[in-house]
Amino acid sequence: MTDLNIILFMCGWGPHAAYQILQDNAAPIPEEIKMVRIPCAGRISKALLMKSFEMGADGVILLGCEAGSCRYGNGTTNAQEHVADTRGILGLLGLGKERLQLANFLPDEPERLLSFLKDVAEQIRQLGRSPIPPGREWALSDTSDEAVSRVVSAHDVYACQECGKCSSACPLTLAGKPFSPRAIANAVIAGKVNEPAVRKDIWSCLTCGLCYDRCPSAVNFSEFIRDLRCLLTSRNPDRYAAHGGFFHSLMRTMTEPELHPDHWGWLDADIEIDKQGKTLFFGGCAPYFDIFFRKHLSVNTSASLVSSLRLLNFFDIYPNLLEQERCCGHDLLWSGDRENFLKLAKLNQEAFQDLGIEEIVTACPECYTTLNRDYPGQGIHLDLKVTHLFDLLEQEIDKGAVDFGKLNHRLTFQDPCRLSRFENRPDLPRKLINRLRPIRFTEMRDKGASATCCGNSAWIGCDGFSKALQVKRLKEAHATESDVLVTACPKCQIHLSCAMEDPFRGEDLKMKVMDLTSILANTIQWE
Amino acid sequence: MSETQEDIVKKEVILTGFGGQGIILAGRILGSAAVIGDHRNSTLVQAYGPEARGGACSAQVVISDGPIHYPYIRQPDILVCLSQAGFDKFINQLKPDGALLIDQDLVQPRGATVEAFSIPSTRMAEELGRTMMANIIMIGFLSAVTGVVSVDSARRTVTESVPKGTEEMNAKAFNKGCDYGLAILKGREKKAVPKAGA
Repeated sequence: MTDLNIILFMCGWGPHAAYQILQDNAAPIPEEIKMVRIPCAGRISKALLMKSFEMGADGVILLGCEAGSCRYGNGTTNAQEHVADTRGILGLLGLGKERLQLANFLPDEPERLLSFLKDVAEQIRQLGRSPIPPGREWALSDTSDEAVSRVVSAHDVYACQECGKCSSACPLTLAGKPFSPRAIANAVIAGKVNEPAVRKDIWSCLTCGLCYDRCPSAVNFSEFIRDLRCLLTSRNPDRYAAHGGFFHSLMRTMTEPELHPDHWGWLDADIEIDKQGKTLFFGGCAPYFDIFFRKHLSVNTSASLVSSLRLLNFFDIYPNLLEQERCCGHDLLWSGDRENFLKLAKLNQEAFQDLGIEEIVTACPECYTTLNRDYPGQGIHLDLKVTHLFDLLEQEIDKGAVDFGKLNHRLTFQDPCRLSRFENRPDLPRKLINRLRPIRFTEMRDKGASATCCGNSAWIGCDGFSKALQVKRLKEAHATESDVLVTACPKCQIHLSCAMEDPFRGEDLKMKVMDLTSILANTIQWE
Repeated sequence: MSETQEDIVKKEVILTGFGGQGIILAGRILGSAAVIGDHRNSTLVQAYGPEARGGACSAQVVISDGPIHYPYIRQPDILVCLSQAGFDKFINQLKPDGALLIDQDLVQPRGATVEAFSIPSTRMAEELGRTMMANIIMIGFLSAVTGVVSVDSARRTVTESVPKGTEEMNAKAFNKGCDYGLAILKGREKKAVPKAGA
């Protein structure tokens, strides 16, 4: 026996019956396999599969009933989809698809089950240990008065005048949620941070920064919430996470230095890169999102990465790529996991240094603000230039001789909070949009630094009110009588596309979503 | 003798525009850049009389590696136009393989047999804050597109020729024109391989 950990999630119907026969006969089931009996394979979500790997499983097997014999109707197909998506992500992550296996069995197939289990166990033995060690410890929460008051003083929350401008601007409050930034601030000052209602609110905040924009005392509420979350994070940080905490698991997996992701393996061969180049294009997590949200029809966030590279090539700029690119850590930091954020940031810093990178170009507003602002803010000094792709494009296009083809659409624009508010650059995407040749470009009522959030940030606290504010936002977009909603952040694209898939509202909310980078890449031409 | 004369690289440039656009200064900068920066020979003939108060005006610049025996130009290799009147007057004299550079907002290249290199120099100068810098933008453009003077010498001469305190602004204007010229050349090269989008 080896010391491998192979988790076997087994449906309690078909396969378990077969498994029991094996147990009754004392069949030689490989000892690395630890069985967890579950009611239906279709209920093991992508998040649970990912969580197993985050916790150090060397292999995961999901066993369900044969197609057509599922007691609950769609369990088999659900399991197939979950496994296919998670395998795709394991491939990108460099853990290897083979570590996750799905099979379906009828109760009278014990021999086939045994040989399957033996085969899988042998396959995992060949692969060896997962690079993720089991039993990693998380920091415990520290909500002592001293720690809390340190955060309160750091952001000078005492300066709050209780004027209520934050609540009157907060998209969540306006969506009808009983939620008030001012009330949270005062409750925390009053030492009520451990009250369940206050805690819940701390995890609900969008950290979109609109309240900071309005605050006459300049209390940076988003960062205050971020730092409170860092105090509150405990061994169970996924309680308020969206998508079952899948993305947080994924990001924490990436903090392991021994992991070697395959971030760019899918890239078209005609994109030219320079492996010795000192300018790095940092792509971000879009390829993971596209696999995870495969079922949401219009989401193709990787297209913006390809478009970015094509645009750079268009201007004869051949960037370097980090083949083993990891997450920038934005969502970990903003969901309160500073410890793992710092691990990722240090790994990234080393990777940049190893390649001798002098400038990083990125098209993702979250990566941009994280590398540009949060890394130094959290003590990671990269000592290189961080450029948003739009800045580079604006500079190149401004040199002249570049033109854009006609675009047969009426456009409106969803501001990314990280670029338009955190970095205070609402003008940047607009300069580029104004260079395009659409039928027309109409702003939404709330625009620029006053724009409403796309509904969520850092995969935390998504609920019915998030949906309500997204619906409001989409109605605003429709009120401009545009037919394309232009986005500049993969998250905006994902969240607003999700809100459109409302079975009760039908076509009312639907609108074509296009990424600004892709529009630029598709219409740019030499004059 | 005739052989050596053919070896000598000689370019004749006519700059035209309205009086007040800085045509003569542009001509002087061009010539100075060639002489002081590139160590070549150059002459300048300024043609303005009553026109100086807003009419047509021109500068004739000859740049050569050898001695220049005659400073007037009958058939320019390069024609730079910042006004329609100037274009109309000189376009028929341009050599068939000559280079035509125009301000695209001020000049309609009617009847030109060569494809013009266009630049919105006046508009760019306005965006930079001073319309009068259109000539400097044009020099940047000219040096990038034709190479008749080297870009470095032209840039240095620009900063040495403009009034004190405006050097930085004029260098910016020069770079703007120069970048635009390089982008145009690149665009023409890339257009040879037609492709939609990036």
